[in-house]
Amino acid sequence: MVEDYVFALIVVVLLINTALSIYGIVRRRSLVKKLISLTILSDTVFVSIILVGFIFKYPAVPPVYSTGSPEEAAFLSQHAVDPLPQALVLTGIVIGFAVNALIAFAIIQLYRLVGTTDARKAVKVLAEEVAE
Amino acid sequence: MRTSLVVLLALLGAALAASGALVALGLKAPLALRELGLYYVLNTIRDCASPEAVAAIVWDYRGLDTIYETAVLYFALVGGLAIFRAAKAQGFKKPVGLTELSKTSTRLISLLIAAVSVCIALHGHLTPGGGFPGGSALAVVAMLAVPIYSVNSMLERGITSTKLIAVRGAALTALGLVALLPVIRGLEIVTNQRFYPGAVLGFTISGSISMYNFFEFMAVASGFAALALYLSIPEEAFREVVERG
Repeated sequence: MVEDYVFALIVVVLLINTALSIYGIVRRRSLVKKLISLTILSDTVFVSIILVGFIFKYPAVPPVYSTGSPEEAAFLSQHAVDPLPQALVLTGIVIGFAVNALIAFAIIQLYRLVGTTDARKAVKVLAEEVAE
Repeated sequence: MRTSLVVLLALLGAALAASGALVALGLKAPLALRELGLYYVLNTIRDCASPEAVAAIVWDYRGLDTIYETAVLYFALVGGLAIFRAAKAQGFKKPVGLTELSKTSTRLISLLIAAVSVCIALHGHLTPGGGFPGGSALAVVAMLAVPIYSVNSMLERGITSTKLIAVRGAALTALGLVALLPVIRGLEIVTNQRFYPGAVLGFTISGSISMYNFFEFMAVASGFAALALYLSIPEEAFREVVERG
């Protein structure tokens, strides 16, 4: 019963996090804040995937053998968390990092050339430069 | 201030109430492994000679995915280099850095970080960890060195982003070779146990998993260090390059 409530609470918190990060991406003017919101969104997704593979049982252990005995295999089959979401999230983190790094490069480049990270101001400055 | 506190408390109350409602609607916490997860947990030693199921999935069961993922990160960094094009503008100022105290403490901490990161990477097939977490930990040394010693001091010592990208390219090539070598014997690409030994001199190396971990460690550490250098190019230096055309 307690584990069901904790699970539900984590689900709700993740939903709130998702809503806040989408708000940040859509409504914030600063590109840096948009990027921060994007990283919060991707981290929320990763935690959600990890949650899918977690088991709410004591003790919940990592899927790692120390002796490799049949008894240990039997114990892990009952108490180990799912290794697949962890492996997928590891891949996701790397891809997410690559995307974020590229966006960060572009934002810094924009700041160096235009002098602002405000999306609307940057568009104005660029439009003025084109008009000149 | 007071408004934001009220909003936060309201949000917390709503979250607690919504959780209770979800439980009342029949939401159940997972208590057992799903069938696919159970397969990986029970067969990781037999299939991949790896006591660590996550490492076995990352570098054996789904090894091809991971190699593509490493390539994506590599191309993102190359893309960053293409956007910046200002690597040669660095090194025009005398390096200053922070105080001697901070430099000495950074030197000591860097040694510790390097030792821990190597352990994380090389034990990746036995314990939680691996090439990516180990490489990320080692890159912290570069991220510390940039503000403490200054970018220019690193460049004077010959640590340039171009060289780091070359190291990353070499590590990625080695990673590709480990994946391709089994093809010579007519096996599938990214084959592990039928080509590489599970143990050498009594030490479990889990076949190709420890090799992948090592090369990924090199690739990630050099890639992240290059990133730290890219992001530290002084603005004046960048403007000079752009104005020069």
